Amino acid sequence: MTDPSTPTPEGRSVIHDLGYRPYTGTRMPPATIARALVVTGFRNAFGLGRSGRSKILPFVLLALNLLPAVIVGGVAAFASLDELPIGYAEYASTTQVLLGIFVASQAPVLFSRDLRHGTIALYLARPLRSGAYALARWASLLAATLVFLVLPIVILYAVALLIELDVSDQTREAAKALGLAVLLALSLAGIAGLIASWSTRRGFAVVATIALLVIANGVVTVIQGISSESSGSTRVGEVAGLFSPYSLYRGLIGAWAGADTPTPPSSTGMELAYVAVFVGLSAACLVALVARYRREATS
Amino acid sequence: MGPVVRVEHLTKDYGAVLALDALTLDVGEGTTGLVGANGAGKSTLLKILLGLIPATGGRAEVLGHDVATEGAAVRAAVGYLPEHDCLPPDVSASDFVVHMAMMSGLPRVAARERAAEVLRHVGLAEERYRPMGGYSTGMKQKAKLAQALVHDPRLVLLDEPTNGLDPAAREEMLGLVRRIGHDFGIAVVVTSHLLGELERVSDNVVVLDGGRLLRASRTDEFLDATGALLVEVLGDDAHARMAAALTNAGVAVADRGSVLSVGATAEGLDVRDLVRDTASDLGLGLVRLQTDHRRIEDVFADEPEDAPVDRPAATSPAGGPPVAAPEPGPGGAAPTADASRRPGRHRRLEGAPGD
Repeated sequence: MTDPSTPTPEGRSVIHDLGYRPYTGTRMPPATIARALVVTGFRNAFGLGRSGRSKILPFVLLALNLLPAVIVGGVAAFASLDELPIGYAEYASTTQVLLGIFVASQAPVLFSRDLRHGTIALYLARPLRSGAYALARWASLLAATLVFLVLPIVILYAVALLIELDVSDQTREAAKALGLAVLLALSLAGIAGLIASWSTRRGFAVVATIALLVIANGVVTVIQGISSESSGSTRVGEVAGLFSPYSLYRGLIGAWAGADTPTPPSSTGMELAYVAVFVGLSAACLVALVARYRREATS
Repeated sequence: MGPVVRVEHLTKDYGAVLALDALTLDVGEGTTGLVGANGAGKSTLLKILLGLIPATGGRAEVLGHDVATEGAAVRAAVGYLPEHDCLPPDVSASDFVVHMAMMSGLPRVAARERAAEVLRHVGLAEERYRPMGGYSTGMKQKAKLAQALVHDPRLVLLDEPTNGLDPAAREEMLGLVRRIGHDFGIAVVVTSHLLGELERVSDNVVVLDGGRLLRASRTDEFLDATGALLVEVLGDDAHARMAAALTNAGVAVADRGSVLSVGATAEGLDVRDLVRDTASDLGLGLVRLQTDHRRIEDVFADEPEDAPVDRPAATSPAGGPPVAAPEPGPGGAAPTADASRRPGRHRRLEGAPGD
């Protein structure tokens, strides 16, 4: 170990011999820069390109999330079942706790970290605009969340093909699940990203996001449970479902993928309302994120 | 080639504070020091130059781009070293600088090459592969400087680059800043609250006060020789005896604490010989004999009216005798300048006016 505060003589001489060479190569347009930021952010969300310790949590969560799919697939293959024991879309609802922890814990990696350590100043001093930066960060989180949601579907679909279930049926169901996964990922990335961008403390962002997701879902579940017990008031449960991403997802898989969920939206209008809230929530979070970073840039 | 930075009637009104007050200023190639107390408008000026915050009035151009309308073009050609911490602790300097190069639009392969080269220039060796959380302040500053240089900017804005560094690291950082301006051919705007640093590294000094331009001129104009010699002797009651002997010989002497300021009125060489002989006769150790230069601090002491040019310059700055440490002219050999100025800095720490 050399003392870093003293100049190394060999370093000095090397510098002197080489001299400074200017860069004359190409410089990429902002779109390419944004893509590079998305890719780096996506890798960082899984701890790649960061310290070894930061890889543990995302990969443990991912493994836990995939484990049921692998087991279910194995059982289905051995027992030669004539349908998958769990629906593609239902899967995410079953493992929603893991999903919530993943999104809540990795959103701060993409959002709080730059604010906490002041790195945001370096990004803002570069060609990318603050809005583009916010979008790129959000896209990284969305991509990471999608990986988390889509991988089990892929595994289950592969199993379904291996045990020779009806291909067109399975493809249709898997495609539906993919569409729903995108809706869920959009809203989760929006909410978690927004919370993380308001908090420079990682722990606070994690707790706040999980609390919001769990509490909102818990309240909605209780209301839906009560309203499904008492006949004639299922409407209340349907409306309550609009107030949490997980219950929105549950409602839509109940309506579209035939999953057994309490008080799914019963009319087309209500289904549209569910989709509208899903998309609107995501868009609102995104707009707030962009506004947040625009303010950060000019403060 | 036009000025690197052109600022015309730039005003920034935060409502409660008027950060910049119709500032008009041209910054050329080379190294420019930006001086001012806290709240003088330095950081606001840098942020406007980066196109990050809009000015209330007036306009600013950086490298020929209007900062208000072509902010992205400005930021692509400018490197920025912020004053505060800005490094993620769990990433290595190598990875981080590569990433920052790509954020400036360099393709991945070129970014890797440039990052390795720049990290070598700033003097980060093997430690570049370690996470930056474990770095000393000096290493962090080097990493920050590397990310500011990695995309080969035409101008770097360095906000207090020596902040928090120990003396050795400070010397190294100042050497780097000097090299960026002189050897790399990149224009530098550097802020510091330590005037002694700026007088060593910058070609031009801009003094801001309350958002207005107090003064902008070449550093050597700030630092004209005063025509006096600084003498330091060792021994019993050395300074008093030396001063008495020199006064008897008909030379004006002023005791300035740790040193004597001796007026070099007649021929400079005679006075130097006289000092040497007097010290020898009295049996005192002659520690230092050097031409006294004005310091940037004196400009503040003199401001606003007193112009520095009308001071008598008895000794030419470039032609000092061997005993005295020769002061280099503008653009003189850097190592000599560093070596010869260092004692002066120590003296300043002990006896700075108004300190």
